[in-house]
Amino acid sequence: MSTLLLILKEITHREYNFVLSLLAVVTAVAVYVAFFTSAQDSQRETTRLMRDIGYNLRIIPKETDMIKFWETGFSDYTMPEDYVLRFAEKTQDEIQYRHLLATLQQKVTWQGMEVLLTGIAAKEVVPKGVVESSMIPFAVEPGKVYLGYELVQKTGVKNGDMVDLFGKPFQVASCLPETGSDDDIRIYGHLKDIQSILNLDGRINEIQALECLCKEPGDPLDRLRSQLEQVLPEGKVIQLKAISDARREQRFMLERFFARLLPLVLVGCAIWIGALAFLNVRERRFEIGVLRALGYGSFRIAALFLGKAIIIGLIGAAIGFFLGTAFAMSFGPQVFKVTAKSIRPIYSLLTWSLLVAPTFTALSSFIPAVVAVTEDPAVTLREE
Amino acid sequence: MVLLENVSKTFRVGRNEVRAIHNINLHVRQGEFLVVRGPSGSGKSTLLLTIGGMMRPTTGRVTVNNQEISAMNELERAQFRAKNIGFVFQMFHLIPYLNVLENVLLASGFERNAESSERARELLKNLGLSHREFHKPAELSAGEKQRTAIARALMNRPSILLADEPTGNLDPENAEEVIRHLHEFQREGGTVIVVTHGHSADQYANQIVFLRGGEIVENPSST
Repeated sequence: MSTLLLILKEITHREYNFVLSLLAVVTAVAVYVAFFTSAQDSQRETTRLMRDIGYNLRIIPKETDMIKFWETGFSDYTMPEDYVLRFAEKTQDEIQYRHLLATLQQKVTWQGMEVLLTGIAAKEVVPKGVVESSMIPFAVEPGKVYLGYELVQKTGVKNGDMVDLFGKPFQVASCLPETGSDDDIRIYGHLKDIQSILNLDGRINEIQALECLCKEPGDPLDRLRSQLEQVLPEGKVIQLKAISDARREQRFMLERFFARLLPLVLVGCAIWIGALAFLNVRERRFEIGVLRALGYGSFRIAALFLGKAIIIGLIGAAIGFFLGTAFAMSFGPQVFKVTAKSIRPIYSLLTWSLLVAPTFTALSSFIPAVVAVTEDPAVTLREE
Repeated sequence: MVLLENVSKTFRVGRNEVRAIHNINLHVRQGEFLVVRGPSGSGKSTLLLTIGGMMRPTTGRVTVNNQEISAMNELERAQFRAKNIGFVFQMFHLIPYLNVLENVLLASGFERNAESSERARELLKNLGLSHREFHKPAELSAGEKQRTAIARALMNRPSILLADEPTGNLDPENAEEVIRHLHEFQREGGTVIVVTHGHSADQYANQIVFLRGGEIVENPSST
């Protein structure tokens, strides 16, 4: 008779012990999976919302007159375009960000109208090791422009039309919908094209950062400014505080919640499993004694208990994963309405659960298994 | 053959030391039937478990089949027990979730092949349990349980059978049948050591020893 068969027969005989142990594993795995899946959704949703709200950090040339900046919305001064790369390289240990975008904008007169001419880099700069995914609403190709709503209304141009921009022809890639902001009088072009039009080759007047956060505790703006002072002495940082604080608070809240709840659940379940395994050992003292009398060594005795724990872990991991995922998918769409459709099972969690849960249950049952192995069968058998 | 030389066993209970058996000298030849009798707490079970290698004596030497098991480590004693010694207990100690056949097969390790299955079935037939092969212990009478335990003890063809109060929970009829099976084992050349309160096994005994306070106080001459 194999050890596995012996374990399975014992499981079916003492089903309550098994079911209660299984419940502990299912709870631990389901909580983890549900939380992790939901947190991923939350992350996706926040990123999406952040993209819609805009960038939370703006780096502009140091000489900028702030009164004028707030009046016009851009700096009259420029800085080298490669600052964006310098910022990305030098700050990765201290500052966390998702995307950096170099822009150049000036107010110009076009067809008798005051417009904001904005060049945006076609590609964003992302931290090392991060999979690139564009957060800018559109990437302007060279030779093409996007026109704001009011400009479209005034000029009557349509998608695909050609327009003249300071003596250079550009194709209208898109006529943008109404935004209710100064974007409605904006002409977006490829950064290189706009630099060329404005005779500012290789220059930008703003770096925008998305989800830029200080990794260290403390006032993030102070730390950002201090970091920037060292990395980009020619730059000045403006933080859109409300967005940053909300984002920072949300991320830290999730991390705090995750960091506190999960260990609590895990420790609780470990004690639960360990206690049930211990009860199982107590209940099977005579059985252990008899197995000893029949010549079974410590390894085989321990294998009965640890093997059972591993089986519980494997079954619990599978059930827990599907329950946790089902929970996240059932309640996730109600919580994360915007990304409801994108909520999906994270199958890598199943692999992890199948690896971690049996280890977890085996460790939880380790002390009871040691008790079983060290139990003096002679003392047990003399007790009868 | 079982040889005990100056064997003592002391247990520590809290801060106190309890002497279970003291200075036991005993020689049981191959094929003999030994009855160990004595009141409760006299050290009978301790003596039996010491002979079976389930516990090490505090002092003295235990030699079984010319091997000093008191000098073996836990694994060696387990392997030795599996090959040489069969145990029968008063409370039967059958595994509740295994059927009769599986309980008997348990003695052959985790192996279940045609040979061991045949051996187990043969034993069950000899002990009148063929019709109970697939029954769980809970469905058996006390006599059937003890006969299953005997089959399990005999599964590995041991040379020594140790029985701790094997008739303690049986009615006289079943008790007689169990003792008769032990006697059959002896007649086939096995050594039997039975610990008991009663006298039901006396008729088959070559040797009877009486324990009191952990010491042999009476050793009737061989029959």
